[in-house]
Amino acid sequence: MNSIYAVVGILICIGFYTILTKTNLIKMVIGINIIESAVILLLVALSYKPGGSAPILDKGYELVVDPIPQALALTAIVIGASTTAMMLALIIKIFSKHHTLDVREIRNLRG
Amino acid sequence: MRKLISSITVFLLGGILLTTFFTMPEGAKELSDYYISSGVVDTGAINLITAILFDYRGFDTLGEATVIFAAACTLAFLVPKQKVHMLSARFSVIVQQSISFILPFLFVIGMYLIFYGHLSPGGGFTGGVVLASIVILTTITFGISYSDRQVRPRVKSLLESFGAIGFVIFGLFGIFAGGAFLANGQAGFDLGIPGELTSSGLIPYINFMTGLKVAAGLSIMFTSLIKEE
Repeated sequence: MNSIYAVVGILICIGFYTILTKTNLIKMVIGINIIESAVILLLVALSYKPGGSAPILDKGYELVVDPIPQALALTAIVIGASTTAMMLALIIKIFSKHHTLDVREIRNLRG
Repeated sequence: MRKLISSITVFLLGGILLTTFFTMPEGAKELSDYYISSGVVDTGAINLITAILFDYRGFDTLGEATVIFAAACTLAFLVPKQKVHMLSARFSVIVQQSISFILPFLFVIGMYLIFYGHLSPGGGFTGGVVLASIVILTTITFGISYSDRQVRPRVKSLLESFGAIGFVIFGLFGIFAGGAFLANGQAGFDLGIPGELTSSGLIPYINFMTGLKVAAGLSIMFTSLIKEE
């Protein structure tokens, strides 16, 4: 159980390292997406109960997992998809203006 | 140098995160216990996640749907409207035949996920994504001009607006029935027998509107993103 939290921490660190060190814009978007997946994994891990089943109260259930983090995870997925699409659209605009995806060159071009 | 500073920062962040995770106290469970014990009685939906999304936190879901709407609008504004060149690759007959064989089944799966959202895993968002994948597959396989002829952009934006307005109108029904905005069981709608298709009041209709909206919104996003000058 505790190892999941360690995985979440490592994934968030990998995402932040990607955002801080990479100079390609698309790789930065990938880093943001890694952090987002880690947060969703954290939500799923928080809702876990040993031996629990999915929160669908059909006949013959005994123990179900916490439904609130799962609903929040759905929200996080939808918002994440929208923000990723927005970021990629802005990257398309930047590329068509500067003809490069390198952050340093874009910063130099601005003066 | 840059990588060294980044590594130190990330190690500090990881230490803070791991200490926080491992010393985290057990959270309060009263709300989830309440949802599990009386969610079915309150909403009539046996899928608790749908009950939370479309009944208890329905206003939150309206905001979530608005985010998709805003993202689709912004993408349609931002990216150019010229024809597509990157998808000029021609696929073989096998790909085209198998895709056109799969499409009706994808439609059935999407509709099933939307309409059984309060009974089984699924719901408006998941089913909407499956429906949007029909448009995406058609675009990838047969090209954007064929896909635009089959599902016109005007129809897509009309469906998206219809879904958004329908969501709000179904929310207003709660006010007209004497409850709050997006009220379902509290406003006295017939909840039916939990576990049947026509149970749980307004939830299936709101689910359907959300599904339409997500499907149209995601296909608008995709067709906007693949266009280039």
